[in-house]
Amino acid sequence: MKRCTALQHMAQDNTSTRQSLDAWHDALISLQILQLDPHGLGGVCLRAPHGPVRERWLSALASLGLPLVKVPGSADAERLLGGIDLAHTLQTGQLRMQAGLLQQADQGLVCLPMAERLPPALLAPLMQALDSGQVAATHHASAPTATRFGVVALDESLPDESGVNAALQERLGLWLDLQALSPSDIDARLNDNEDDALHIRLSPGALARAREKLQQVQASDAQLHALCASALGLGIGSLRAPSLALRVASAHAALNGRHVLDDEDLGFAARCVLAPRATQWPAEPSAEQAAEPPPPDNDETAEPRPKPETPDQTPTDPPPGDAPEDAPPDPAPQEPTAEDLQEMMVAAALASLPPHMLDALATQKGARSGNTSGRSGQTRAGQQRGRPLPPRPGRPGGHARLHVLATLRAAAPRQRLRQAAPLVSPGDTEARLMRRIAIRAEDFHIQRYQQRSSSCLILALDASGSAALQRLAEAKGAVELLLQQSYARRDSVCIVAFRGAQAQLLLPATRSLVRAKRAMTGLPGGGGTPLALALKMAHEQAALLQRQGVTPILVVLSDGRANVTLQGVGGRTQAQADAQNWGQQWRSSGHRALWIDTSMQPDAQAQQLAATMGASYLPMPQVQAQRMAHAMDSLRTGAA
Amino acid sequence: MALTFPFAAIVGQDEMTLAIQVVAVDPSIGGVLVLGDRGTGKSTAVRALADLLPPIQVVKGCPYRCDPAKPAGACPVCQARDPKTKVVAERQTVAVVDLPLGATEDRVVGALDLEKALSQGIKQFSPGLLAQAHRGFLYIDEVNLLDDHLVDLLIDVAASGENLVEREGLSVRHPARFVLVGSGNPEEGELRPQLLDRFGLSVQVRTPQDLKLRVDIIKRRDAFEKDPVAFKALWHKDNQKLQKRILKARERLAEVTVSDDMLMLCARLCQQLGTDGLRAELTLLRATRAFAALQGHLAVQAEHLQSMAPLALRHRLRRNPLDDTDSGARVQRSLQEVLAA
Repeated sequence: MKRCTALQHMAQDNTSTRQSLDAWHDALISLQILQLDPHGLGGVCLRAPHGPVRERWLSALASLGLPLVKVPGSADAERLLGGIDLAHTLQTGQLRMQAGLLQQADQGLVCLPMAERLPPALLAPLMQALDSGQVAATHHASAPTATRFGVVALDESLPDESGVNAALQERLGLWLDLQALSPSDIDARLNDNEDDALHIRLSPGALARAREKLQQVQASDAQLHALCASALGLGIGSLRAPSLALRVASAHAALNGRHVLDDEDLGFAARCVLAPRATQWPAEPSAEQAAEPPPPDNDETAEPRPKPETPDQTPTDPPPGDAPEDAPPDPAPQEPTAEDLQEMMVAAALASLPPHMLDALATQKGARSGNTSGRSGQTRAGQQRGRPLPPRPGRPGGHARLHVLATLRAAAPRQRLRQAAPLVSPGDTEARLMRRIAIRAEDFHIQRYQQRSSSCLILALDASGSAALQRLAEAKGAVELLLQQSYARRDSVCIVAFRGAQAQLLLPATRSLVRAKRAMTGLPGGGGTPLALALKMAHEQAALLQRQGVTPILVVLSDGRANVTLQGVGGRTQAQADAQNWGQQWRSSGHRALWIDTSMQPDAQAQQLAATMGASYLPMPQVQAQRMAHAMDSLRTGAA
Repeated sequence: MALTFPFAAIVGQDEMTLAIQVVAVDPSIGGVLVLGDRGTGKSTAVRALADLLPPIQVVKGCPYRCDPAKPAGACPVCQARDPKTKVVAERQTVAVVDLPLGATEDRVVGALDLEKALSQGIKQFSPGLLAQAHRGFLYIDEVNLLDDHLVDLLIDVAASGENLVEREGLSVRHPARFVLVGSGNPEEGELRPQLLDRFGLSVQVRTPQDLKLRVDIIKRRDAFEKDPVAFKALWHKDNQKLQKRILKARERLAEVTVSDDMLMLCARLCQQLGTDGLRAELTLLRATRAFAALQGHLAVQAEHLQSMAPLALRHRLRRNPLDDTDSGARVQRSLQEVLAA
């Protein structure tokens, strides 16, 4: 490809620039693929902060000529799915229906700005429509209306925040990450070949040809096999991923005028579909593949790899596929095996991942469970929080907001009566007004919400040498007690473990106690006591939970003998000072805390730290189920 | 009508497809709960359900799809009809209704018909999702994340089989007998025990790790997406076969006998596992009977019990919330002991 070689020239030595430029290049190709097949691949999840880079991508998106409907977070279900146009209906007194945003997006795209903040009430019908290709029948429309659309989810979340709803994200084919890209990078690139932006929009003729091609694109068995094996190797359990990857690869092939899948197509799918979903480092070759060369090891991929499109281990000739008339008349065509292809795809996927991700994958043992999962049921903070209660009659104003629908419902049955009763001064204006809906003050209903009283237990578990060796098992027992209590209360739990030079978020907030227990069982002990780091992490988690509308409660299980500083180096005095410092921070946050002292003899140090934090103090020898339940209860009633 | 993936074309996930078929044979078993990761074909299987079932006879024009053969449990509309007029029946496909996570209470139970109220000033009830699902299936994806107030509502309706609406000056009672089908990922949150109990069978699905199987699934999916009509036509015969099998099983269901020995086995198993209440035994009994009918047997045998016991009992064990051993394995172990005894 001409564009690729130009790109290759530009990125000579700087790996990170090249990688981000590759990302930009892929983002542009994604736009073309969207144009070609807006709904087949679910859509795009674009992770990028607001800024010139994203703006440029979005303006290119807008210029595609597809129907593009923006759904703001404040949209209600009526607007999304269609229903009564209340404003118009009220104004004219005649029923007026409106098409929903999803119907308007038919054959086009739905754009979700700040997708990570969308409430589940909005996402669930959206996903339902995305899955079934239709908007289900509602009160007002007795027949379902067909609509096929793709979703462009814009994710602006910070690294420590939960991202786009996992169920939605999973349905979107292409995951693009432009966070690392700086505007100057693209500028440099644009100057190099100016025509780039112009080429994104396909001419109608080219589009029609490509769409026709898309129907004919064939994948060989070896390619399918490689696709599934790569997904499995990267720890992607869901079957949607390889399915979407195949779709994306096919679209990429059609875009390039092929009807046989090529390494380039598979490489693109591996980079944009599989790589971002990876949860584990590709496993060691299994028994039946033992003869094959092992997957690339660490140092090899840390180096700048050759362009993914032309990896050296695969033949440079396009592989002869199922269509013999298109295959070059090669006397001895070297059929690439599924293993070769798989290796190529995994290499392409890994090459596209930023280095820190690679490290994370390499050190991870089991399947990763990001903090993006599981919180979709959580109500987010807003002007009003909590689950809605039935509206009740009352005057709006102050904190009470008018519930329009309920007000109308209350007024509706009395319309005949009110229309019949003449008002005091009948006249032209009055007669005109009479055709409108007559709403009286007694019809007013207001919205009510019940504040969620859900809380999350943050457990800071000391697994250091001083505390752990004898007491860790006991501490774990205490934690189990706490977990059982929170199960009864349907609270969520989040575990921070600390030992050696670091505090580790063992388990992001979850309601699954099985996971909590599993995470704890595998926890090793030994090393220093980085108390300050643990308190810092607990503090961050608390802030995160607060943002989600959950009340955090901290339980520290430690002997308080801090000897590792915030920087992760030894030093008792500094470590104590740091711990005091973060204890102070916790106090200023105003959240509740309980300190369970795990040392053999109750110790002044822990007691003092607990006092600094404003935490209740409970020495371990006295930790019995009854007492702890009592302590937690008093803590909770205080927190509620 | 958008085309759904044909049920017969679903590969793998045998336990899930079996549970769905068993419930299709005898809806009184009370629904299926499918727990597992995303992208394992849960939604695909449930949405393909309509394929499995033959069309039903409904009273023409009835918003609640009443059964013309059973005037007793009729809805308010049918009851108000003059008994002398002849009931006109029509055939309709079985409803599979999606209950989205964020649905409002109005949408679920039904509410005042705004259109009629605004334009004509008539107070009329507009049925909600529960009414639509009558005599069909109600599917809730991510059921474990469903808001508590909706769960309360569902628990009540699922138990009583009728929906009672007392709000906004409306007082409506209509039948809402449906098979509850739920799916979700238990790692993201747990189900209330009361709701758990309303599901007759529960299935755990995992992503298939077998490469060949995965390739096969992707192939079929791709073929379906490229040309849904042709794919559907290709599988039409198999789907018909499956439908016939279920119809036959339904007819056979009344004739299937359960010996006292089998009943004893069921009771002993439930006793050993310590399940609460008698619902476990009843469900187990119905499930084994339906399964025997599906297999073409006229008497329930131990092998039927063996296949159905994990499905019917897995979610009813009184369980330590921190214990993560697979409940299905526990059921199997107890069953072996009971059978050996």
